[in-house]
Amino acid sequence: MRWLDWYGDGSLYVVDVGLACCALEFDAASSAAAMRLPRLDGQAQVAVVISGTVTDRLAPAVAAIVDGCEQQSGRRPTVISFGACASSGGPYWDSYAVTKGVDQLLTVDAYVPGCPPPPEALSAVLDQIAGRVPS
Amino acid sequence: MIARGPSHGWIRLIEPACTSCMICARECPTWCISIDSHTEPVEGLPSGARDRTQNVLDRFAIDWSLCMYCGICIEECPFDALEWVSEPTQPTSTSSALVEEMVTRPS
Amino acid sequence: MIEIAPQDWPAAVEALKADGFEYFDWLGCVDEIGRGDCLRVVLVVRNLSQDAEPRMVSCSLSRTDPRIGTISGVFAGAAWHEREAAELFGVEFVGGERRRLLLNPEFEGTPLRKDQVLAARTGMNWPGAKEPGESDFSPSRRRLAPPGVPDPAVWGDRDASQIAPDPAEVVESAVGGRVRRRRS
Repeated sequence: MRWLDWYGDGSLYVVDVGLACCALEFDAASSAAAMRLPRLDGQAQVAVVISGTVTDRLAPAVAAIVDGCEQQSGRRPTVISFGACASSGGPYWDSYAVTKGVDQLLTVDAYVPGCPPPPEALSAVLDQIAGRVPS
Repeated sequence: MIARGPSHGWIRLIEPACTSCMICARECPTWCISIDSHTEPVEGLPSGARDRTQNVLDRFAIDWSLCMYCGICIEECPFDALEWVSEPTQPTSTSSALVEEMVTRPS
Repeated sequence: MIEIAPQDWPAAVEALKADGFEYFDWLGCVDEIGRGDCLRVVLVVRNLSQDAEPRMVSCSLSRTDPRIGTISGVFAGAAWHEREAAELFGVEFVGGERRRLLLNPEFEGTPLRKDQVLAARTGMNWPGAKEPGESDFSPSRRRLAPPGVPDPAVWGDRDASQIAPDPAEVVESAVGGRVRRRRS
């Protein structure tokens, strides 16, 4: 599991499930975050970002990654559906091979629309989750 | 210096310009635009004129979970009733909240 | 593009390789329904010592029983391409590996054949089916169909006593052509 210490202070660890183009926007948003094994105290939050199209074939693997995050971190991760494909199947909703939204598999806490959303949209959603929204 | 329009962040409806012609909903590749409309007679016609009706837009919604931001709707609209907005569409905590109702009627 | 008969396929590919075309580029399949009633398997190989000159060969197979010998013995890399063509088009590569590559094991159908209609589109109400000035989907009159959805009279909610649609008719209707159905 590739844990990114988003703010560099151990308060929020983010795992990306990089499935398609949205993964590139995730990479752009996360370029400053260091990859570190999580030192998870009681306060630290964990977020899993589903970036891209979930195909029916890969759906079990996506669910397994989120489960794995929960197992390894000892807490339920905040699930972010990043982009149109993860939110509903996006432009591929009519495909014979696409799961129409990752919320068919797991509970999603935040939906970020976009095709792809800009990196700032991901940073903003994570800031909200971490309670760091500037007043 | 190249004049730049807004970047492709969000799509906005200019409601007074919309005639409910349905072209954007038909051209949208992902079927993300939903439109409801009805017809009403046109008032104030000169005496002796034929009855005429006009379309009244009741509902214009875009499902942002489906939209792929291609801009075809904006390009196809014959009345320039859709435009790009630079800010990105806002995240939501439920998928139904991703459907944005763009026609607001006084209750 | 050189056309090869199905029974000559593996031998022809071996001959190409012996002739210097030792680089396997890709193997694919095209559903030619509407233009010819066949599935066409296409192979591109390259001669790297000659500026990677490509050679394209193809073989037409019947849509009802598309069988061709595997070339994975000649080019091991062809195995994945053959598995993909097999599961998406229903082509049988005799002697080749039969495992699914991209689709779920439970998946039924051959989705890249043109007469396989995207069922998700036919099941949904197309927002564009409404006319200007309308708010409901009630089928009071013949409606516009969106791209990819055949006319219901041709495919779908048909009268069961009518003849089953010919695949070519389904394809033509799905791309927006008017299909004149036989009535008897």
